[in-house]
Order: sequence, then C-alpha cells, then structure tokens
Amino acid sequence: MIRLASLLLLLIGLYGVLTTKNVIKMIISINIMELGVNIFIISVGFITNGVAPNLTEHIDSSLSNFVDPLPQALVLTSIVIGLGITSLGLAFARKMNKKYGTYDLTMIGGMKDE
Amino acid sequence: MTFITVLITLLALSVVTYLVSLINNKLGAYFTIVTSLVTLLLLFLLKNSIGQLASISLFTFKLTTVGWYFSMVMVVVYFTSAFLNPFWMKKMIYPAAYNLFYLVSLIGTIGMFFARDFITLFIFWETVVWTSTFIIQMGKSRKSSYVYYVVSAIGSMVTLFAMMLVYQVSGTLEISVAFNALTGQPVLALIVFFTFLLAGLSKIGIFPFHVWLPMAHGSAPHTFSPVLSGGLVKMGAFIAYISVSAFAAYEAFSSSFTIMGIPAPIYIIMVLGAISIVVGTVMAIRQDDAKKLLAYSSVANGGYILIGILLFDQLAFAGGMLHLVSHAIASATAFITIAIVAHRTGTTKMSKLGGMIHKMPITYTVYLIAIISMAGIPPMGGFVSKWLILQGLADHGLLFIAAAAFFGSIGSFMYVFRPLSAVFLGQLAPKHENVKEASIMMQIPMYLLTIATLLIGVFPKIILKVIAGIQAEAGIQEIVMVGNTIVVANGVLDTFRVFVVFGYGFLIALVIFILRRKSRRVTLMDTYTSAEFVHTPELLHYSSNFYAPFERLTKKPYPVLNLYEKVSIKIKEIGHMAESLFSSPKPAVTIFWIIIVFAIFFLGGVL
Amino acid sequence: MNNPVLLIIIPLLLAFVSVIIKKAGKWILLLGVLINTVLAFFITTGETIIGGFLPPAGINLVVTQFTLVGVILINSLMLLTIIMSIDLVGKYSVILLTALAGINGMLLTGDLFNLFIFMEITVIAAYILSAQAKKYHHTITYLIIGSVGSTFYLLGIILLYHLTGSLNMADVAAKLPLLTTKELLVPILLIFIGIGVEVKLLPVSGWVKGVYAHANRLIAPLFASIIAGTALFVFGKLFVSVLPLSDTLTMLILVMSVMTFVFGEFAAFKQKQVKEILLFSSIGQAGLITALFISGLVYAAVILIISNVVSKLIMFTIAGAFTEKYQTDNYHSLSGVFVHNKITGIAFTIAALSMTGIPLLIGFYAKLNILIGFFHAGNYVLPVIVLLMTIVEGAYIIKLLLALWAPGKEGQVSLESFAVEKKQLLSVKNTAICLIVALVLIVGGTLIDTTSKIVTNGQPLLGDESPYFIISQSKGGE
Repeated sequence: MIRLASLLLLLIGLYGVLTTKNVIKMIISINIMELGVNIFIISVGFITNGVAPNLTEHIDSSLSNFVDPLPQALVLTSIVIGLGITSLGLAFARKMNKKYGTYDLTMIGGMKDE
Repeated sequence: MTFITVLITLLALSVVTYLVSLINNKLGAYFTIVTSLVTLLLLFLLKNSIGQLASISLFTFKLTTVGWYFSMVMVVVYFTSAFLNPFWMKKMIYPAAYNLFYLVSLIGTIGMFFARDFITLFIFWETVVWTSTFIIQMGKSRKSSYVYYVVSAIGSMVTLFAMMLVYQVSGTLEISVAFNALTGQPVLALIVFFTFLLAGLSKIGIFPFHVWLPMAHGSAPHTFSPVLSGGLVKMGAFIAYISVSAFAAYEAFSSSFTIMGIPAPIYIIMVLGAISIVVGTVMAIRQDDAKKLLAYSSVANGGYILIGILLFDQLAFAGGMLHLVSHAIASATAFITIAIVAHRTGTTKMSKLGGMIHKMPITYTVYLIAIISMAGIPPMGGFVSKWLILQGLADHGLLFIAAAAFFGSIGSFMYVFRPLSAVFLGQLAPKHENVKEASIMMQIPMYLLTIATLLIGVFPKIILKVIAGIQAEAGIQEIVMVGNTIVVANGVLDTFRVFVVFGYGFLIALVIFILRRKSRRVTLMDTYTSAEFVHTPELLHYSSNFYAPFERLTKKPYPVLNLYEKVSIKIKEIGHMAESLFSSPKPAVTIFWIIIVFAIFFLGGVL
Repeated sequence: MNNPVLLIIIPLLLAFVSVIIKKAGKWILLLGVLINTVLAFFITTGETIIGGFLPPAGINLVVTQFTLVGVILINSLMLLTIIMSIDLVGKYSVILLTALAGINGMLLTGDLFNLFIFMEITVIAAYILSAQAKKYHHTITYLIIGSVGSTFYLLGIILLYHLTGSLNMADVAAKLPLLTTKELLVPILLIFIGIGVEVKLLPVSGWVKGVYAHANRLIAPLFASIIAGTALFVFGKLFVSVLPLSDTLTMLILVMSVMTFVFGEFAAFKQKQVKEILLFSSIGQAGLITALFISGLVYAAVILIISNVVSKLIMFTIAGAFTEKYQTDNYHSLSGVFVHNKITGIAFTIAALSMTGIPLLIGFYAKLNILIGFFHAGNYVLPVIVLLMTIVEGAYIIKLLLALWAPGKEGQVSLESFAVEKKQLLSVKNTAICLIVALVLIVGGTLIDTTSKIVTNGQPLLGDESPYFIISQSKGGE
C-alpha cells in the first residue's frame, strides 16, 4: 500500500518535470520524485510487526523483530543528497533569472546565445 | 640487402628530407629527387632477391615479381615527377610537409606492393591515402581533397570488412593462403569478391567511383598530378590482381553462372570497366581544362587495365599489365608537360592558351610522343598494350566489352589531340610572347620518359619478360616471344619492324619537306582578323568550344557526383533531425524520451 | 601505500584544506592530482575493506585489472588537464578535488549504493563546473535530467536490494542469475537509464550539447574525456560483471546503443562548430562502446575508451583554445588557423586521425579488435554498421582538418595570406603536452603487443575471453 503511494508520488513528480515550464516547479517536482523514492526505500525495509532497530537495554537483540536498518541509513544519505541538489538547482535558477529575466526554459532555449 | 633495410633507409631519408626542407624548401625538394633516385636504384637491386621474406614488428613482406613490377612503375613516376618539385616550392603553403608526404606516400606504395598479410597491405594503403589527401589540399580545391578521401574511405572500409571476414573464416591473415578457405562457400566467396575489390575499384577510378578523379587530379598541385595519375591509381590495379590471383576468382566462381564464358561476377566488374572507358572518353572530350581532360583519360585507361587484368589469360593480362606501364609513363609525361606549361603561363585552361609550339618546341615534341602512346598508335608503347588487350578480348569473344574498348581507342584520339592543338598549335596570345622553354631541370624527366615510351614501343620484350615471370608465378599461360616478335593465336607482332616502317615513312616525309619550297612565314596576328573589328575574340579562339558538335551531342553529363552529394545531404538531414529530437534545451523532452524508452523496454521485456 | 582508499581520501582532504587556505587553491589542486596519479600506479589488484565490516554487509573497494586500467588512465588524464589549464582553475579547485575523489570512488567501489553516492558527488561537481560558462539554462537542464536519472538509479538498486538482500556488487552478481527475467527487468532498466545519463546514451543525452559546447579549455576535456571515461568504465563494470542480461534485454540495449552510435555520428556530420562536432562524436562513440560492452567484447571496448579519451583530451583542449583566442568555434571562420600553429595542428591532426582509424594509431587498433571480436561472436551486421559510420566519421573529420589547415576559397591555391589572423593557440607548455600525448597515440598503435600487455597484464578483462589482435596473428603460421 505504502509502496503504491510512493510510486504514485514518483509518477506525479515525473509528470511535473514533464509538463511544467517553470524551472522552480521542475525542481519541486524532482523533490517530490525523490520523496517518493525515499518512502519506497523505507518501505522496502519494513517487516510486518517489526520494531525500530534500536539496541537498548530493554530489547533483547536475539528475540526482537527489527525492521531492516540499512534502507533507513540509505534514506538519510539520499535526503541529504536531495537537499544538496535542490539548493544547487535553486541557486542556478536564481542566477538564470537574473541573467535572462525569466524562469521559463522554453523562453531561453529559443534565444540565439550560442 | 634485405627489404627491411631498404625500407628503413628510405624512411630515414624522408625524415632527412623533411628536416632539410624546414631549413630550405628548394634544397629539400632536390632531396626528394635524390631520395627517389636512391629508391629506384635500391629497388632495381632488389630484383635479385625475389622470393625473400621479411618482417618487422607487425608487418610481413614477401618479394614477388608482381610486387617488384608495380613498385618499379611507381618509383619511375615518382622519380621523374620529383624534378618538378623545386619549382613549386614557392607556391605551396606547407612545402616541407609536401616533401615529406611525397616520399612517405612512395614508401607506402612500395610497402603495399610487397605486403604478405592483409594488415600490412591495409596499413600501407591507408598511409598513401592520408598523405596524398594532405597533398591534394595544397592545390586549388579543398573539396576535391575531401571527395578523394571519402570515396577512398568507402573503398578502404569495405575492403577492410572483406579482409576481416576472410580472416575470421580462414584463421590466417596471409594473403596467398587466406582466400583458400573460401572454396566451397560460393555465397561467401561472392560477398568477399565484390567487397574486397572495392578499394581497388575506387582507387583506379572505375565507374561509379570515378567522381573524385577529375576533381583531385585536376586541382592537385601541378607537380603531384603526374604521380596521382601515373602512379597512385595503379595501386587499385594491384588489388584487382590479388582478386584474380590469390583469390583465384576463376576457380571460386567456376561453378557459377557464366556470361560469354566469363563467370558472372567477374564479367560484371569488367562491364564496369567498360563503362568507365566510355564515360571517361566522352567526358574527356568535353573538357576545357587540360588537367581534367587527362584525368578523365586516366579513368578510361584504368578501365583498360582492369579489364586486362581481370581476364587473367595469356594475352589480355599481359596487355593489361603492359598498359599499366605504358599508361603510367604516357600519363606522367602528359601531366608533366602540362605542368610545365602551367608553370610558364599560369593556367591550364585550354581556351586561354595556344601556340606554345613556337616557344616550347621540346615540350611540344614530348607531349606529341606521349599522346601517340596514349592513343594507342604505333610505334609507341601504348599500341602494344592496347593491341594485346584487344587480341585477348577478341579471343574470348567478348563482343560488347571489345566494342567499348574500340570506342575508347578512337575517342582517345579525339581527346588527346585537343590539348595538342589547343595548347601547342594555334594562335599564340600576345601575353605569352615572353614564355620560355622549360628549364634543363624540367627537361630531364621529359627526355627520360620519352625514351622509355619509345623503348616500350619498339622493344616491348624488356617489359614482357617480367610480365611473363608474373604470369608464371600466377600460374597462367605466359606470353610467347620469339626474338622481338610477340606470337599470338591470330598472328604475330614484330614491333621493331613496325618501327622501321614508321621510320621510313617519317624519313620520306622529312625529305619531301626539305626539298620542297619553303612556305612563307606570316606572323600570327596578320591573318587573324583581316581588317575586321572583333568584339568577342574569345569565341574566335581556335580552341574555345573545340568539339562543339560533339559537346552538343553529349550535353547531359552523368550526374554521379550529384548522387554522392545527395547522400551527404540526406545524412546531414538525419543528423539534424536527431539533434533536434534529442538535444533539446528543454529537459522535458529528454524525460519524455526516458518514458518512451521505459515503455518500449517494459513491453519488450514482458512480452 | 598501495591502499586504494587513499585515492579517494586524499583529494577529499585536500579539498577541505583548499577551502581553508583559499589563496593556495591552485597548488593544492595540483598537489592532489599529482599525488593521486602517482598513487594510482602503486595499487594492486585485490579487495580493500572499509570500516572493518566484511562484505556483503560492509563496503569494499575492489580492484581488478579493468579497474586498474581505468584508475591509472583517468587520474593521469586529470593530471594532464590540470597542468595544461591551471590558469583557468580560478576558484574551482575545491570542486575539482571533490570531483577527483568522486571519480576515483566510482571506479573503485564494490558496492552499489556507494557507487550512487560517488556518482552524486561527481555529478554535483559537474553541475557546478558546467556553470562556469555562465549558461545557466544548460546547467539547469543538465541538473534536472541528471537528477531524474539518479533517482531512477536509486530506485533500481533498491529494487535489487529488495530482490537479493544485498547491495554489494559481487554478492548481487552471484544472486541475480537465480531470479527470473521478469523480476529483473524493471531494476536493470532503471539502472540502465540512471547510468545512461552520464554515459550519454541517446534518449538521455539532451544535456550534452548545451554543456559541452560552451565549456572552456579546462572544463571541456574534463567532461568529454575524464567524466565520460569514468562513466563508461562504470557502465562496463555494471553491465558485464554485475547485471545478468537476458537475450531480449541485450537486444534492446544493443539497439539503443547502435542508434546512439548512428545518430550521434550523423549529427556530428552536420555540425559547423568544432566543439559540436566533437561532442556528437563523443556521443556516437559512447554508443559504440556500450554496444561493445553488451556484446561482451570488453578488451575492444577498453581500447576504444583509451583511444577516445586521449584523443578527445587533445582535441577539446585545442577547441577550447579556439574559442579562447578567436571567440569563434565555426571552422569556416577558423580556416587556416593551423598555419601559424603547426605543432598544435599536428597534435590535433594525430588525435583526429586516430579517431577515424588511420593505421599505426591506437584508434585503428581499436577498430581491428572491434571487427575481430564481432566476427568471432558471429555478428555480421554490426561490423557493417561500424565501418559505414567510420566512413561518415572520416568524412567530417577530414572536412574539419582540411578547413583548419588549408585556407582559401574553392578554386584558389591555398596560401598563407588567406588564413585567419595569427595568434598563438596554446602556450608552449601546453603544445608540448598535447604533442607528447599525441605521440602516445602513435606509440600505442604501433607497439600493439606492448599495449595489450599493459592493458591486460595477462588476464582477460572482466572475464572476456574473446580473441583480440596481437602481432603474431599477422604472421600466419610462421
């Protein structure tokens, strides 16, 4: 169920990148895509009736049913990467706007600046 | 003296020539003369080492008679043309590179003719291609250099395909052995035959791969055109030779459909050769530029050589090989004389020249002898070779090809005569009043080549002996000579007697000329307009629109070059489409394509 | 000393140092690249475990002969690029060092997610470097396409994790053949698209034109030669040793690679600007290399990669110099430019001729191996396509060379007076480096036995046992 929802997010993000003209919206769509993927990753590690993979004194490591901790580590990394790319993208979008006066890629692509 | 030492010596001399050229161009050009002379001598000495094997790094060589024969022709042409080099150094944009490439291409041809395996053959072939491409560009036209390279690349790549295919099938790269694996595989043999031959066809300039010839030979630097026409096209003839001897085309196709007694694949190529004769002859007659005319004549003569070699029998093969030599010499001579005229007057357009005989009588005589040979008139060398080829064609009963060959012969008289009368005879333009005869340096090659033409015509035995050796090596019937007479099934040809007859005729004419009253000499301008005022003197020039009726007859030239250009435009269009489809500035387009690809793969994988 | 981790750690550390000591940025960069190149020659094949956790649970660095070739090649080329264009580095030393770390990480890692990380590091550095040309819309295009690609890749490896329970390349390679094709289809597809963005395969190469065409003398060889080479090595490792491909999938990927090859070369034929010709040629060659990898001809692919990245290094550096000195890239406007810069021209010509496959250069050796490999595998269609495209390649390269060497209109003899204004294209140091690198192309193509020994070190690369051309073959049965 969650997986379907995450894939739906992915598709929505993809649709966004495909159809929008505004660069900022494209970056937001990419964010949504990454969000979908991240949720998907976490859902991959989920085991029914599992508990959070924390080793504390109260939980006996040999008996407990931990969810997979690896995807959660992956997601952390992925979120950070997503953050980096988003900020980079927004910075470039801003620079582009200052230079060409628009956030619309189709308007710039037509200009003969080569 | 081993072959490897010869090669290394020549390479070293080329590098020395280049370094000398960097310091002083003219000196470097003289070095090319010296180096080609050294090459000539060394090669001549190598004749005693026929049969020797040699190898260095990834190259393997074998000294064969046929290889020696071809290389000698090449070196003679290079050597005689080298005498012109010093006079063109001023006009070249890269004189040092020219000298270097001149010599490296010579080495390339020699290495190629003695190659024992495919890779060596290909490597030396390609060396000649790119060095000559860079020389041609130094002339009048970059486009001709480009077309030259592209047509050559088509040939080379297709031949490379054939070589690698044969390697895959036979497991060996040795030329004389590898083709044996094709016996018993008719389809494969057919594919290999046509693809392997392609580099040769494009190099000789056989229709439809002849488009580069008039462009390249016509606009190359004048001092390199003799080499291109007299020498480099013969490389293609070597490939043709391999295709009948090592490939054993006649045996490979012995069970296939025959036309007039010749296996169909070979006959098709011979027809292409015949078409080249006709096309070359017709186009040559129409030309106004002397070099382009001679270039088209090379196309026609290439057809003769190809047909001769492909017949691979006693007579026509010998004729083809002999024609190789006689055409190389005659063509080189003709180009050299035109180059000398161009050097003195600055143009090769025949409608702008005329009357050169008054200023350059020696050049005129040399040119005359060369074209007598080219037209196939005794007592010059071209006659013997054409005679042998026609004998061979008649023997085999190949009607249509023989008809084309005859047409070429007659037509050749028309086109060789045109430069003679347009450039040398006729009116001398006032601006050419101060034109001088060729300098001594330039006269030397002319004398050498003229003597060679005469020798081959009167004593063809010298060359035919070597050809008989080639025929023996290749396993076909050798040409028979009794004394100086060539003995064929239909009769005999004693060239010395023919020469003697011509000699008597010439003497009689000379005596009559001396004894008769001298004609009154009138200066040219006196007779020209007869007190009429002429508004368009160009039209009244003796050599403008020289063969007007013929030119009207053959108005539409074959647009083969257009075909190539159309292909080029189509490729550009597809490229443009690809670029606009995929390299769009909007990322949305790319994402769209990703989805399409995904969908295709998904469907493809699921189904 | 021969720990491959150093190849990644040292540039990263130096990057941080460079942030602190801003003024010495260039020298720190140079130091980093130099150390890396030297170290690259010292590593040996084997496995290095990171962090003490044994694989498949932990991350490891795997060095095979294939990896070794890649690491030495890419690091040396990076060194040459930096030495040649160090004057253009400016403030980018941090980014360049980070990129270097990322590249080495991509080549060395043995873990799929680790590959993702290093890929992201490299790609982000690439985004920033592409912005040097100040054409931000191209950067944004690149960024968006790249992000979509890496998202797909991430999804792909997660699916693989879901199917096999591991992210370690060797482990996954062992477990994947046990799964059905239907299950594998989607993850492999996603990974293919993800890595395809950097490899420049056709449907996802929309960003290439914008980024490469405006890159300067420093950035262009970085993209075309270093990053492109890395991406191809990674593609090779993934699709030959890790992911099993069913026949349908192989066929589909092959079709896509061949289309990339054909359309790339056709597009290059049409171009009028030097950098655009070169970049479409890069796209085309990338298509050919992927086709070789998919067909299992690893040795031929590696030789072609070497030939390409070395040639493109020289050619893009000189092309960058064209824009720098003459403000134009159009080869008609640059006619005769090599008249005044003969040695630079010779280096460019050697690199260009190597690309067309003129013998005695390493490009020809690559072509021979391609033909031999395909014929051996029984594939007769692809050699025909390769040779036809070689003709097209030869055509546009020769047209380019003729224009650059021989000025003058049609019908006029080429004279120096028709050439463009005399300017020195490259500094003496750069000309020397370009020439030496070009000579490597000649040496590598002539002494082919040495080349093959250096590249393979006696072992079949990535398990590829198909025959390749060695000198003794030309001597027949002697």
